[in-house]
Amino acid sequence: MLEAVDLTLDYPDFHARYTLSVPAGALCGLIGPSGGGKTTLLHAIAGFEQPSSGTLIFEGRDLLRLAPAERPLSILFQEHNLFPHLTAAQNVGLGIDPRLRLNSVQQAAVERALERVGLPGLGGRRPAELSGGQRQRVALARALVRRRSLMLLDEPFGGLDPGLRQEMIALVDALRREEKLTALVSIHTPEDLGEAADMMAFIAEGRVLAAGPPAEILKKGRDADIDRYLGR
Amino acid sequence: MKLLPGFAALALILGVVVAAFMGILLAAGPQAAALPWGYVASVLRFTLLQAGLSTAISILLGAALALALARRTRFAGRSVFIAALNLASVLPQVVAAFGIIAVAGRAGWLGEGARFFGFDPGVWLYGLPGILIAHVFFNAPLAARVFLASLAAVPGEHWRLAAHLGMRPPALFRLIDLPVIRREAPALAALIFLLCFTSFAVVLMLGGGPVAATLEVAIYEAVRFDVDFARAGLLALLQVAICLSFALPVLWLTRRPGESAATGADLARPDAESGAMRVVDAVVLALAGLLVMPPLLAVGLSGLAAFHSLFRADVAEAALTSFAIAIPAAALSLALAIGLAASARRLAAAGRVASASAMTMPGGLIPAVPPIAVSAGLFVVLRPLADPFGLAIPLIILVNALMALPFALRQVEPPLILSAERYGRLAESLGITGVWRLKLVDWPLLRRPFLAALAVAAALSLGDLGVAAFFGSGNILTLPLLLYQRMGAYRVAESASVALLLAILALMLFLAAQRWSEDPLARSR
Repeated sequence: MLEAVDLTLDYPDFHARYTLSVPAGALCGLIGPSGGGKTTLLHAIAGFEQPSSGTLIFEGRDLLRLAPAERPLSILFQEHNLFPHLTAAQNVGLGIDPRLRLNSVQQAAVERALERVGLPGLGGRRPAELSGGQRQRVALARALVRRRSLMLLDEPFGGLDPGLRQEMIALVDALRREEKLTALVSIHTPEDLGEAADMMAFIAEGRVLAAGPPAEILKKGRDADIDRYLGR
Repeated sequence: MKLLPGFAALALILGVVVAAFMGILLAAGPQAAALPWGYVASVLRFTLLQAGLSTAISILLGAALALALARRTRFAGRSVFIAALNLASVLPQVVAAFGIIAVAGRAGWLGEGARFFGFDPGVWLYGLPGILIAHVFFNAPLAARVFLASLAAVPGEHWRLAAHLGMRPPALFRLIDLPVIRREAPALAALIFLLCFTSFAVVLMLGGGPVAATLEVAIYEAVRFDVDFARAGLLALLQVAICLSFALPVLWLTRRPGESAATGADLARPDAESGAMRVVDAVVLALAGLLVMPPLLAVGLSGLAAFHSLFRADVAEAALTSFAIAIPAAALSLALAIGLAASARRLAAAGRVASASAMTMPGGLIPAVPPIAVSAGLFVVLRPLADPFGLAIPLIILVNALMALPFALRQVEPPLILSAERYGRLAESLGITGVWRLKLVDWPLLRRPFLAALAVAAALSLGDLGVAAFFGSGNILTLPLLLYQRMGAYRVAESASVALLLAILALMLFLAAQRWSEDPLARSR
């Protein structure tokens, strides 16, 4: 279970205060208008932003006491997930050892992870030689080798065309079920998550305004803000 | 007609450069066998040695300084420190040399201090040590600025990833910093090498005599003191050949894809908290501070103490002459740059990309044609036709305008290209062409870069000692010449006030250029 209670972040022009519970092993879609605070919430969970107050507990551990690298999570950004001068395999290998001193067992783990995300034999390529979707698959492979039980995805497939987006969501869904991961995915178009999401949270103006099963959250007439966001 | 401005600019630039080459070849050719080859070899050896060492030290210190500043985004006096670095990199050479002598010369602060403790440091400064100190004084801050800008362009996600993956400082350096430094270093090193290879005022003031002469100074001495045109021609030929072999790689190396817009400039680096990095950064910042601050302070303090000596007729005459040269030189440089850039844009729009590149190519090649070599060549070509000293002012303006051309082009080319991308088709469809297009369509985007380029070109010309000394022949007095003459006559206090005046002018022009070039494209969006 991931539990954020009154997690507060203060900026000169933005004030955010989040309360959200995500059951263990669930995939939670974060939806809401641009600038509403989805990325801020993910960055606070990852440790890139320092909340001024509130609590953040995952699997019984207080995440706020941990440095970013110590938190039991992996994160994917929309872009720049890979270092351009390293090969795909090296980028995945960073998830095991940031100094890239990998033994043969670890190298085999990297190869396996690349196979699982559908990139067998492409470990020697650099990011510039891969498509946008392939680059995100490499980042997913790195998340797999890190073996952390919480996965944060910050609009990870925003730059991909609709068909590829569906394919990637299906891959994330399959991997998180196999690995029993809890996942938070911020996304622009709720329909992209399809059946994959166990729950959705609508975030606007730095608040979680609604959270629950997707069918309930997206139900027409339930909430004027959500209707406006969905263009209804 | 539409390409006339570009071809006219190209004709003038190539005309001057080709004439200078002809002059050099004419002078060097017939008497090559009788030349003092041993002397030439020793001058060449020293020029390469000082330029190579200056470049290596500047790049290393510049990179370390950039990393320290990137990690330490907040410390007391950071803005003053950065302002001092900026000032150091734009100070006229003659002023920096004065400041260094005032600090480290025999009668300077260090010498006085050493004598107080009963030790005479002697004249250690003059020769290779002084030249290296001065070149690193200019170029380490320049390198730091370039590296810092590139580090700031690293995507923010990479710093977050580094924190997320738990990278320690060595891994972070290897995986993020080093690739940035490696990417920038070759072109930057080539540029610094060119600047040091062709450095004139520093070598003249801190070289300490023929043992430490560089090609640039040796050409000057061959023409001005020995009237030996054959030797000057040969030295100039050597200099141009070596510079060109560096300029072409620079042109090639600097053509790389632009950076991503997602920058991590405002993010705290994960290695900033490391204790070891704190110590390293403190040492680097202290070292850079010791290199840059004392000469600037010396210029300021000694200049203020002798401020009254500015109110003399020779200072007024020198200031007037300096501006009478700098303003037309800057205007000519801008006119050439706009002519080249506008025509290149038109060629590019017509799909003639290679021709467009060829049109602006001279701007990139100019740094490889040293001013003293051009001056020597023009001198030889003009001598049978007219008295070059009688044409001193127009010749100084011409050579200074050419030397400022790369900086002017760098400022005005991007807004002209942006204007074409945004409004080119609209302007074509409405039939807005020529001067009207420049006025109605381009000028709103061009105005600030234009003013910035004008300030940079004027600053370069104001600080010029070499060309003015070459053609001046004692009849012309500019501020750098006046400073040099007063230094030569051991009128140190009077030199100090001129040095301060030049420093203030350079600072004002630099600040104006910085203000006007502050993300001009973003402002227009």
